[in-house]
Amino acid sequence: MSATQTEAAPRARSTMSSRHTQTWLRNPDSAFWKTVRAVGMLALFFTIWGVAVRLSHSDLFPTPGNVLRGIIELAQKGLLFKYIVASLFRVTWGFTLAVLIGVPTGLVLGWYSRAFQAFNPIIQILRPISPIAWIPVAILWFGVTDAAPIFLIFLASVFPITVSAIAAVQNMQPVYLRAAQNFGLSRSELFRQVIFRASLPQIVTGIRIALGVAWLVVVAAEMIAVNSGLGYLIIDARNAGKRYDLVVAGMVMIGFIGLILDLLVRQLEKFDEVRWGYGMRR
Amino acid sequence: MSLRKALVTTAVAWLVLITLGHAWLNLHLFAAKRAGGTDQNKFRIGFLPVTCHLTCPVTDFINKQLYGESIFEPVRFNGWPELKEAHLSGYTPATFILAPMAMALREQGVPIKIVYLGHRDGSAVMVHKDSQIYRMEDLRGKRVAVPNRFSNQRLLIFRALKQAHMSINDIELVEMPPPDMPAALYAKAVDAISSGEPFMGQTELDGYGRVLWLTKDVWPNFISCVLAVHEDMIKNRRDVVQKLVDGIAKSGKWIDQSMEHRMETAQFVSKFYYNQNPRLLTFVLSKPPDRVKYTNLTLRKPDFEEIEELGRESGILKGTARFEDYTDASFVKDESAVQPYAWEPPTK
Repeated sequence: MSATQTEAAPRARSTMSSRHTQTWLRNPDSAFWKTVRAVGMLALFFTIWGVAVRLSHSDLFPTPGNVLRGIIELAQKGLLFKYIVASLFRVTWGFTLAVLIGVPTGLVLGWYSRAFQAFNPIIQILRPISPIAWIPVAILWFGVTDAAPIFLIFLASVFPITVSAIAAVQNMQPVYLRAAQNFGLSRSELFRQVIFRASLPQIVTGIRIALGVAWLVVVAAEMIAVNSGLGYLIIDARNAGKRYDLVVAGMVMIGFIGLILDLLVRQLEKFDEVRWGYGMRR
Repeated sequence: MSLRKALVTTAVAWLVLITLGHAWLNLHLFAAKRAGGTDQNKFRIGFLPVTCHLTCPVTDFINKQLYGESIFEPVRFNGWPELKEAHLSGYTPATFILAPMAMALREQGVPIKIVYLGHRDGSAVMVHKDSQIYRMEDLRGKRVAVPNRFSNQRLLIFRALKQAHMSINDIELVEMPPPDMPAALYAKAVDAISSGEPFMGQTELDGYGRVLWLTKDVWPNFISCVLAVHEDMIKNRRDVVQKLVDGIAKSGKWIDQSMEHRMETAQFVSKFYYNQNPRLLTFVLSKPPDRVKYTNLTLRKPDFEEIEELGRESGILKGTARFEDYTDASFVKDESAVQPYAWEPPTK
């Protein structure tokens, strides 16, 4: 039955395509209009920015055109690609370490309430401390090697992951546990087969938030004297005199890469193992 | 297990890819090992992209031109706290640092020794060109930015206030990283700024800053930054420190030898070390030529006693460390015997 369906589908689509071309313009939820809305708003934003700079007669604050030229200049020098790789490298490792440590820690603390009582105060005390405050400690421990920014990014992202994993286990439906008990699962099976899977949707949400935070602190983390990265680009441009076009170019690149990272992590939510946990509004 | 398989494969592939990319592009791990492979023995020197630390990149550059490699590895920082912390952690055993900051660290028990001066003069107080501030007295009630509480610029302001029969309470002092000062003055967020060059010259060059006074007018032979090393370096690797100080002394003399040398310095330092527009350094190294000087850099007790006294009065020094504690003046006993580097830039 499924075979006939898949065969029938392309045929149905081709006959409908002529009608589709007429309706996508009228349908406000078509992909075309979604793109128009997003791009149109961006264009409006850039226009307002450019006009505002012109009206204020500021010769320090760059226009979008200046910033674009700055980005092109960086790309031509080969710096843009290098810096993006450097920042992604640090965020990747800091974030990976945070996932590898945060998820198991969260699962264990969520399950064993006595361990939770012991460790929760420490976690809650460390959690609100900004990575910027950790910069001196990071330099004293790691010098100005790559380990220092990786440590800062790790610190910023490990807590959202841990806390979301703890909450996921604590809020798990008791029915899963009872079923698991009926099947007589061992402790390690219980963790891997039931607890982990049941809390995965919430953990993925925590991971998505944590990746945003990890990318957010890249500027602060690269304020340490590393000599590459988009955060470094911003600091370096401040040293270079009147190069605020490059400062904003760094900001724009961080923003766009952040958008791409978020889109990628959202792909995780499409897997069946995760999707069951989200109520879809549409 | 579609999720696990897809995730693990993608994650591992990405980790490997980005790590290799970073190692190749930024750490240059795959570049052919450069001649000698003596990098292991090279110690790091911390510096900031200011004219006070100019002899650091100049020594590095000239050594590379003359001998193919430098005697040390310069590490550029962006602010005083990071520079200081890297020295404290042992990452940079030698560093250019503010004289009062080195003295205060010594008071706090840090085994730091000043071995040579970085420069003389080379600082200014700038105001907005539209402002009505023409004398020190006009700064009453105004907001003045200095780089750091341990900066000599703060002591300089302190001294100028004293000369004008005013006190520190008559103005509002704020701490601000030097690279942010030009924009702050432009936006009139502060009324006056003071830091090392080229950030003062930049406001003049861009047409919104006016010199209230240069350091040489208020405190002739002003010292702001010094070359300092960890005490263990002197104990264990005295020959290396000697070579370093000799190099710094020779570069200082070389820079001050002629205006051509200064202009050449502005070019290669801007391009290879500071990443600034060369016209900035060109401007501050020439207008006027004695805005900042790189000769007469031996350590003299009276200079430091003056700093000690002002530091005590302004509350940043306790006065528990003496000249003999925080300096080692034995590396250059007679500066007149120091010869500038015998290097001439290739004629274009």
